Amino acid sequence: MSTYTPGQPVTAVVQRIEIHKLRQGDNLILGFSIGGGIDQDPGQNPFSGDKTDKGIYVTRITPGGPAHEAGLRMGDKIMQVNGWDMTMVTHDQARKTLTKKNEDTVRLLVTRKSLEDAVKNSMGSYPRQ
Amino acid sequence: MNNSKNQRDSDIQKKIDHEIRMRDGACKLLAACSQKDQALEAAKSLQTCSTRIMAYMSELQRMKEAQVMQKVTRRSSDAGPMDDRLPCKGKVAISDLRIPLMWKDTEYFKNKGELHRCAVFCLLQLGGEIFDTDMVIVDRTLTDICFDNTIVFSEASPGFELRVELYSCCSEDDYSAGSTPRKLASKLSSSLGRSAGKKLRAAMEPGPCSPVSNGGASPLLLPVPSVPGPKYHLLAHTTLSLSHIQDSFRTHDLTISGNEECSYWLPLYGSMCCRLAAQPHCMTQQMMSGCLKVKQLGGDTQSWAEVYAVLKGTSLFCYHRQEDVEANIEPAFTIAINKETRIRASEKDPQSKVQNICVSNQYGGEEVTHTLTTDSREDTHRWMEAFWQHFYDMSQWKQCCDDLMKIELPSPRKPAPVTPKQGSLYHEMVIESSDDLSSTVSDILARRMQELELRSQLGTSPTWMSVFDESNPKSAGRPRPCTSRLSGHSPCTPPRLPRSPLSPHRCPQLGLLSSDASLTSDSDSHCSTSPCSQRHGWPEPSSNFSLLSSSPSRLRPRTLSLDAKLSTLRGRGYGGGGTFQCPCQPPPSSLLAPLPISSRSPLSQRSTQTTLSCSSSTSSNSSSNSEGSHSPESSEGAPFSRPSPARRSLRNLRARLDPRNWLQSQV
Repeated sequence: MSTYTPGQPVTAVVQRIEIHKLRQGDNLILGFSIGGGIDQDPGQNPFSGDKTDKGIYVTRITPGGPAHEAGLRMGDKIMQVNGWDMTMVTHDQARKTLTKKNEDTVRLLVTRKSLEDAVKNSMGSYPRQ
Repeated sequence: MNNSKNQRDSDIQKKIDHEIRMRDGACKLLAACSQKDQALEAAKSLQTCSTRIMAYMSELQRMKEAQVMQKVTRRSSDAGPMDDRLPCKGKVAISDLRIPLMWKDTEYFKNKGELHRCAVFCLLQLGGEIFDTDMVIVDRTLTDICFDNTIVFSEASPGFELRVELYSCCSEDDYSAGSTPRKLASKLSSSLGRSAGKKLRAAMEPGPCSPVSNGGASPLLLPVPSVPGPKYHLLAHTTLSLSHIQDSFRTHDLTISGNEECSYWLPLYGSMCCRLAAQPHCMTQQMMSGCLKVKQLGGDTQSWAEVYAVLKGTSLFCYHRQEDVEANIEPAFTIAINKETRIRASEKDPQSKVQNICVSNQYGGEEVTHTLTTDSREDTHRWMEAFWQHFYDMSQWKQCCDDLMKIELPSPRKPAPVTPKQGSLYHEMVIESSDDLSSTVSDILARRMQELELRSQLGTSPTWMSVFDESNPKSAGRPRPCTSRLSGHSPCTPPRLPRSPLSPHRCPQLGLLSSDASLTSDSDSHCSTSPCSQRHGWPEPSSNFSLLSSSPSRLRPRTLSLDAKLSTLRGRGYGGGGTFQCPCQPPPSSLLAPLPISSRSPLSQRSTQTTLSCSSSTSSNSSSNSEGSHSPESSEGAPFSRPSPARRSLRNLRARLDPRNWLQSQV
């Protein structure tokens, strides 16, 4: 992931992940945990390549949970949730956006290092036409 | 022919009558109600009914004109029936409408005058169907106008035009329009402050800025009754069509009418974000079905397999028997029918009297051809016709036929619990700086945390795995580049048309998360004797959690205090410790629960499995909930004495706010 320059658009290779929340009694759960946020210390994020990255990262996935089934993996950086930006939000804002009670499904855009690498490698092997 | 037309006429007439009755009801309600909210809702219904009536009227007029035209053309020329192929219709759904606002900073700091508040709603029109969203009250504490409704239009053609209109109405208490007599109004306006008076005057008269939203009807249509009460004005509109459809969120531009002087003005950012999806019928319904014979590839040229074939979506499903379709048994095989497929009729087979149909696909560079045949020439002709129609549909619906887009029908559920009035962003910030351990403070804190509706987990010294699961994600679509502006207003607009991801199925068996409404997610459903009793080695480093079976009767798992956990886990040490440095020097207790997966039973509502998620934390922090029950101490003894609930809650909060911690939340 490239370093973020304020005021410049951020480019990333993303994957769309759609998670259907699971209902447990009164709660709707997704089955993962997030860390990060603009109000958190980015140096403590073990998943970010760039230690100034204040984005929202997936810190843990419940095996067999809705997020795991949908393809979310630990270490993913969440860029968007249902159209809402997640690259510049506080931790609490991120949590609230994910846990809206009136939404059964969340559609995330996530990025991870392996995606970037895959695209780079695939672009490298074919000659430009 | 005439009968169907008459039928359609009477249908529309019935609809018009229905809407007129609704409109009369809304007018009466508007005249009668006293409360502001009721008045706004009634005015919204009035607006919707009026729009619907206009739409039906114009459709009626169009039909009548068409009838007249047809009669004329039939007389003048005997043009044969046009053999135009019509594309299939489909469902179009729009959801998650969000319109960002752009308040000036002066708005936030305005102390004088009332909060400028407007009631807004959206009117969506496609073909003859008109729907409205719920009404939302907007003031400067909102950064976006969000409409949660999902609107589904059932019979849309690929050339559809979905018109989205945003109506707003000023909703300030003091300026109820219409009732004050003119002379008094002008007196008032001149004696009030300039801006207040301007607003009042604007609210009184329609003024130049409000398009006559319901009047201005052509004299053919019924005159709209003018009622006192709030009136909605068109604030912005846009039109969406097939090119805007995508299986994700996109931003569209809005055309804004009105200006700052109008009473119903809102500072719109100028765009609208929504999800527009379509399900053409060729993707969801069986377009053609019947018995076919498929030539077996390779081997004996004369061997044919009899199948019952169903053409739907991007495939031809071939089942052994017709009953299999109903029984949802997997088809024997599937032949792809998509944009790259080529179908042609082959030369007549010398043995049989009918032509064969050859279906060719490219599977990764190789061309694979399936040969189909039927029993009679008419059947062959019908199948060819069905294939041509299918190709035509796919060419008309374009990107909607790549993959099936999901449309979620809003489930009829209880209305969402009334959320407390939204405070501004500033109100939400919590500043707790007191070190005071007096009871009042801890009471406030305890109450505060109970109000918070979430399960946040304290995770400090993460013993993160330096190696984590790098396995390839499930084939959930091709990754694509995305640019996102950091303003937070617009989501990605990818340059290419992506493929929608494979739908994740709901997992049938789910060992599941406790995450109950307690503050922390540290939950162990059972008494703490179970972790101790099972001592197992650590699982492989990449899996963090395993499942613990719990007593089925417990809906709400009990929480284990950190102290008990620390003591149970201390004895085991931990494997694969993170390379991570925590500034707080935690004891070497781990994040991971070394518990085996006991059983993975199918998911039941009373979850029989819960996740044990424990977090280690510094010795100064406690991660247990003050209101959770305290499970008995582990058998290994408790070296720590458990602090009082109040102190623990205060510690909790301080731990959360301590910038040295890296907060994690479970969702």
